[in-house]
Parts: sequence; C-alpha cells; structure tokens
Amino acid sequence: MDGNAIAVKTRIYTHPYVLAGLVPLVFFLVFYFYPLAGIFIRSFVPDFPSHLHIDLSFWDQVTGSQRLAHIIWFTFWQAAVSTGLTLASAFPCAFVMSHYQFKGKKFLTLCASIPFVLPAVVVAAALDASFGKNGCLGMLNIRHPLVLIFMAHVFYNFSVMLRILTSFWAGLRANIQEAAATLGAGPFQIFIHITLPLLMPAVWAASFLVFIFCFSSFGIILILGGPAYSTIEAEIYRQAAYMFNLPVASFLSLLQIGFTLVLMGLYTAFSRKAVRFAPKAGHANFKPPQKFREKAAVAGSAGFIILLCLFPLAALAGKSLVHDGQVSLIYYQAIFVNPANSIFHVPPFTAIKFSFIFAGTALIIALVTGLCAALCLNHLDRVKAKGLAAFFDPLFMLPLSTSAVTLGFGIIITLDRPPLNLRSSTLLVPLVHALVGFPFVLRAVLPALKRIPNDIREAAATLGASPGKIFRCLDLPLISGALTAGGVFAFTISMGEFGATIFTAGPRTPTIPLAIYRFLGQPGAMNYGQAMAISTLLMVVTAAGFILIEKISSNGVQQF
Amino acid sequence: MENELIIHNLKKTGTTGVCFLNNINLALPRGSRLSVLGPSGSGKTTLLRMIAGLDIPDSGDIRFNNASILDLPPHKRNFGMMFQDYALFPHLDVFHNIAFGLKMKGMSKQEQASIVAEMLALTNLKGFENRKVDELSGGERQRVALARTLAPGPRLLMLDEPLSALDRVLRKHLLDQLTQIFSRLHITTIFVTHDHEEAFAAGSQIILMNQGGIVQNGTPKDLMHRPMNDWVRQFMG
Repeated sequence: MDGNAIAVKTRIYTHPYVLAGLVPLVFFLVFYFYPLAGIFIRSFVPDFPSHLHIDLSFWDQVTGSQRLAHIIWFTFWQAAVSTGLTLASAFPCAFVMSHYQFKGKKFLTLCASIPFVLPAVVVAAALDASFGKNGCLGMLNIRHPLVLIFMAHVFYNFSVMLRILTSFWAGLRANIQEAAATLGAGPFQIFIHITLPLLMPAVWAASFLVFIFCFSSFGIILILGGPAYSTIEAEIYRQAAYMFNLPVASFLSLLQIGFTLVLMGLYTAFSRKAVRFAPKAGHANFKPPQKFREKAAVAGSAGFIILLCLFPLAALAGKSLVHDGQVSLIYYQAIFVNPANSIFHVPPFTAIKFSFIFAGTALIIALVTGLCAALCLNHLDRVKAKGLAAFFDPLFMLPLSTSAVTLGFGIIITLDRPPLNLRSSTLLVPLVHALVGFPFVLRAVLPALKRIPNDIREAAATLGASPGKIFRCLDLPLISGALTAGGVFAFTISMGEFGATIFTAGPRTPTIPLAIYRFLGQPGAMNYGQAMAISTLLMVVTAAGFILIEKISSNGVQQF
Repeated sequence: MENELIIHNLKKTGTTGVCFLNNINLALPRGSRLSVLGPSGSGKTTLLRMIAGLDIPDSGDIRFNNASILDLPPHKRNFGMMFQDYALFPHLDVFHNIAFGLKMKGMSKQEQASIVAEMLALTNLKGFENRKVDELSGGERQRVALARTLAPGPRLLMLDEPLSALDRVLRKHLLDQLTQIFSRLHITTIFVTHDHEEAFAAGSQIILMNQGGIVQNGTPKDLMHRPMNDWVRQFMG
C-alpha cells in the first residue's frame, strides 16, 4: 500500500462518524459480549475468577436429571404446537386479507397487529383475565396451564404470521393461477399445485419466526405455566433465582444461545428463499367479496380476528374496572396506597414511577448509541468500506436474537464485581433496556440516513455549511421522524421488558411488569384486581406508542 | 488579464487503476465563462468536484487568486455549485433553500430576506417563497437551485449539466435565461455539459475532455473550424 492509500484509509477511519461507532461498540462489549462470555466461563469454571479449576459436575446434574431432559423436550414441543396452532388460525385469515377489499379492513389490520407489540406480562394477564380462574370465561373451565400457554402464544404471534402470509399471498400474481386454469386446473388443483408451493417458503419463514418466539417465550410460561410447565428460559430463571445453581443456569443459557443461533440461521435461510420467490410489490389486486361464500369468509375471519385479538384485551380492561360485580375504580385507587400488610413492600405507584424513569433513561441511551451506530454504518457504506459495514450491521442486531433472560443473567453474574460493579446501580436496568431497544433505533434511523441523497450534503457544503452544520441543519431534521419512531420503540420496549428486568431490577426499584408478575402470584381479589389495573395501564401505554409509531412512519413515507 | 483560477497538473486515479483525471492544466481569467464539454465519463464532473473541494486529487494543485486552495474544505471556499439533479433540501421551502447559504454566513433575518427577494426576482420566481420544493416543476426546481447557488455571492460559479434533467423545449428556453443571467453577473463561470450547443451558448472558452484529459482548449470557433484531431471532428459532428 503506498503512502497515499494509507492516508486515505487513515482519513476514513478517523472520520468523526466512524469514531462515533466506538460508542455503540464499547456499549456492546461491556453490556453484551462481556456478560455472555461470563456465562460461558461460569459454566465450566464455577468459581471464576477466584479459583481457576474446571468443574464439570454440572454435567452430571444435567444428564442425571429427568427434569432437565423433560424441560428441553417440553420447550421444543410447546413451541411446535403453538406454531402449528398459530399457522392454522392465521392461514385462512391471510387468504381473506390478501384477496378481498372491504370496509374496516384497515381497522382489522390494526387490531391484528396490537397483540404483538404488547409486553408478555400483559398478554399473560389478559389471557388470565379471559380464561383463568377468576376470568370472564372462567366457568368454561379451560384453564389448564397448557391451554392458556397455547392460547397466549397464538394471541401473541397471530399478527406476525398474518402479516407475513398476507403480504406474500397478496403479491402472488393472479395470472399464474389464471394460466393454470386455462391449462385445465380446477380451483383445488390450482391451490395444491400452484399457490401452495409458491407460498411454502413464506409459510416456513413465518413459522420459524413464530417458533423462535415461542421457544424463547419467558413471561407467558412463567406466569401461566407455573412450576409444572417450565421451558429452558423459565428454568434458567428458577435455577438462578431460587436454587442459586449458577453452573446449571449458565449451562442452560449456553444451550439456549446455541438453539437460538441455529434457529435464527434456519430462519434466515428460509426467509432468503422467500425473498427470492417474493413477487414484486404493486401487483396486489383486491376485489370486494361478492358471492355469499366470499362474504361469509370475510365476515368469518373479521369476527375471528376481533374475537382473538380484542376479546382478551377487553376482558383485561373489564376485570380491572369491576369489583364485587360493580363498576369501580378501587383497583386503580389502590395503586397509590400501600397497606401495611402488603407483601409488596413498595407501592405499585413506585413501580410505575420507576418504569417511566427507566424507560426515559433507556430511550436516551438507546437513541444516542443507536444514532452513533447509524451514522457510523452509513458513513462506512458511503465511503465504500462495505466489508466493515457488513460486519457491524448484523453484530448490532444480535440483542434481537438473544433471549432477554440469558442477557439479564449474564449481566448479574459479571457486572457485580470489579472492574465494573453495577449491582446496586439504578443505571443497570436502563442500560439493559437500552441494549434491547438499540436494534430498533438503528433499524429506524439507518434507512432514513441512507435515504438522504449525498448531493444535498455536498450542496450544503458548497453553500458554506461546515460538517457540524450539515448534521444539524440537514441530517437531523431529515431523520427526526425516524429518531422519534426509534425513541418511542425504545421507550415502549423498556416499559414492557420482563426477562432481563427480573434479574437486574433491585427489590426497591421494581417496574410495572415486575409488579404485575408479583400481584398475579398473590392470592386475593385485591391483588388480582390491581394486577389487572396495572396491566391495563401498561397495555394502553404500549398500544399508544405503537399507534404513534405507525402514524410517524406513514407520515414519513408521504414526506419523501 | 490576470488569471483567477489556475489548475496545475491535476491527477486522480481510481482504486481500480482507472484514470479519472490525467494531467489537467487550465487557467481562467476573472469574469471568464468556460464550458467543459465531453462525453459522459470523460472526467468533467470529477474536475468540477475537485474545484469545489468535494473530491481530493492525488497530485497537482488548484490555485485561486494566487493561493492554493487544496487544503480548504468545501464550506470555506465560497464557490457556488449547481448540482445535476439540483440537490434541493427536501425539508425546506423555496425561501429557506435559497437562504441556506446566507444563514451559514450568519446573516440577519432581514439581510437574508432582502437577498432572497433579489434572487427570486432574478430567476423569475416571485411568489414561490413558501412553496415546498416537491411541488415544483423541473424548470422551477432548476431556477431555485440557481438562485440558491447565487445568493451567497460565490467567488466562482459552477454548473454541472444544469439542463440535462429537463425536456428539450424547456432546455432551450432556460439556456437563454441562464446566459442572460451570466452576462449580467461578472462572475467566473464553469458550465459542464455533454451537449455542444449548450457549451457554445454558455461559454466563451471551451475545453473538450475525453478519458480524463483535455483534448482541445479554445474558443467555440476553434473547435468548429480547427478541430485538433479526428476524435474532435467526430464528436463535434
């Protein structure tokens, strides 16, 4: 390499935007890779760092334990059954949503997408309010934990499945099917020989995604399953928090990381195939339902979607407002008082306060780190250092595919001693939440930055704008919508985060999801009612955040 | 007359060994009007971007008023450049697009308003102040871009294929307008185009470029009547 080329390279790597990338990188090294490395080491060297002897006794515990084998098996089959049920319920609705145009379709799409953005604890509470012992339909007596878990998973993942299948199905070109018809294929034969094979990659991709979600489901299993129905995720928590068996918890975390990585790899492979088959956008031709059969199908799936997605939420809100058979705000009022005999030694109002403080702090941390990462990746991309960009982009997405429980567990076993002791720091929870929200900020901001044509930056430079002013007067206003959307994402994710919070939040600094979990675990109508009330509040906050994001992103599309 | 802009042995080679600019030498007297003509990929835009400071040469020098400007970043050069697809700021209205350079100079709101009004008059855009730029036609966008470039009173005006995004009829009309505006302003102008009619109308001096080098440098008459070689003859038709 000659001197000039070195000078050019040096100039690229010392550019302020590239240096900004160090902020998220350090953030990841300390709060993501260091904890995960800690889990790995702790599995084999239990007394690290004081005693450096390798201890594989956990292996005897794992292999000798019927329970653990049972848990791993259960994790897989509950995920498979949940995925199957989700697919079965979403497939017919996807057909209707991808073929027909009808009044209220937009509303239906919105209804269908709300459950997915709700925190797992709210979903669990909503299912409990519908079918649990004290639930609206409690008399149906279908409150077997397994039934509740399956229903919660279907409720939760229905929208992902529906969204992927609908967009793919709507794009399948009608003329292929028409061509098949002119070749003598009847409707059923067309479906079996043409439509289904074309749809399969999307079906597989969506199913894998839902399988991964159900596989690493934590809050729902912990709340609705009880000790009898434990998955790997829930067992990591039980082993760590109740039995203090850190080597086994570490080993299970490793197992969880390994399984998730393999599943994510399979999902990526399938979704790539789906993209290859993916029809071009803009082909969708919806028609209004005309025949009685079509109208019945539309009405049926609309009814099903509303029942599936809105009934549990309505039941939740209803339960929070009814006390002793009468409409009452008593549960909401109780949030603000703390009876002396409450086992929950800080009032729920404190949990609400901490949730908002944590979410606000997490929002700021996620926005700053996410913006730095986006600026760095965008710059690397622009100066054609694409190799580096291609390396860091997926790396920054890792928190999305890492189970929150694993992350929370890794953090408390590594960040509780020098060189970095954050055990009692109130910053720990917002930092973990920011890590989980970070990929969402990056995914919102980076495309907005990439959409800004470079020549308007150059035009600003020739008009006398320094790099700092270009950032302030051009980049910042042009990505303000994306920044807001990313910030709302980070905020709502933090409000609902459960898996990592249960490890990292101290007893004096609970959050709303922790309060819901504790209230649901206590007997008595008052505890139950308060769980319903706080869940309803959290539902409203997250749903409002989601609707706000939808509004911002649809405005953004119109703007450019 | 004294030369204002002097380009000396300017060279730029791409990472793959492609030669973008090969030993460019050029001298422009103050107030002169140069057209840079050549097929696409001949290095016209690269040359312009180097003068603006947006690209950095491998070797050679660019001097303005007898001082090298190579170390000056683009925002300190005070050279106006009009971009091929205008590069209007999508989040600002017409007024704030034109006022952008004035704001960067730290001018007061009144000063900005009076200069913008002047520019709007010059480019026949009165009444367009509050329009959003995505509501404008191609010709209007071009005039906003010109007004924005001229507003800060640049020491040098560069136009990169300013008419290429427009249809033929409009192009002829706007070319006349542009040359009228040029003749009113006493500012050194560099006009880049691949169309020889435009080059002849806009410049009193023309350089013809091909494959990163200057093939011929002269007046429009020289190019028409005394082509340097067969390639020039062929290109000029």
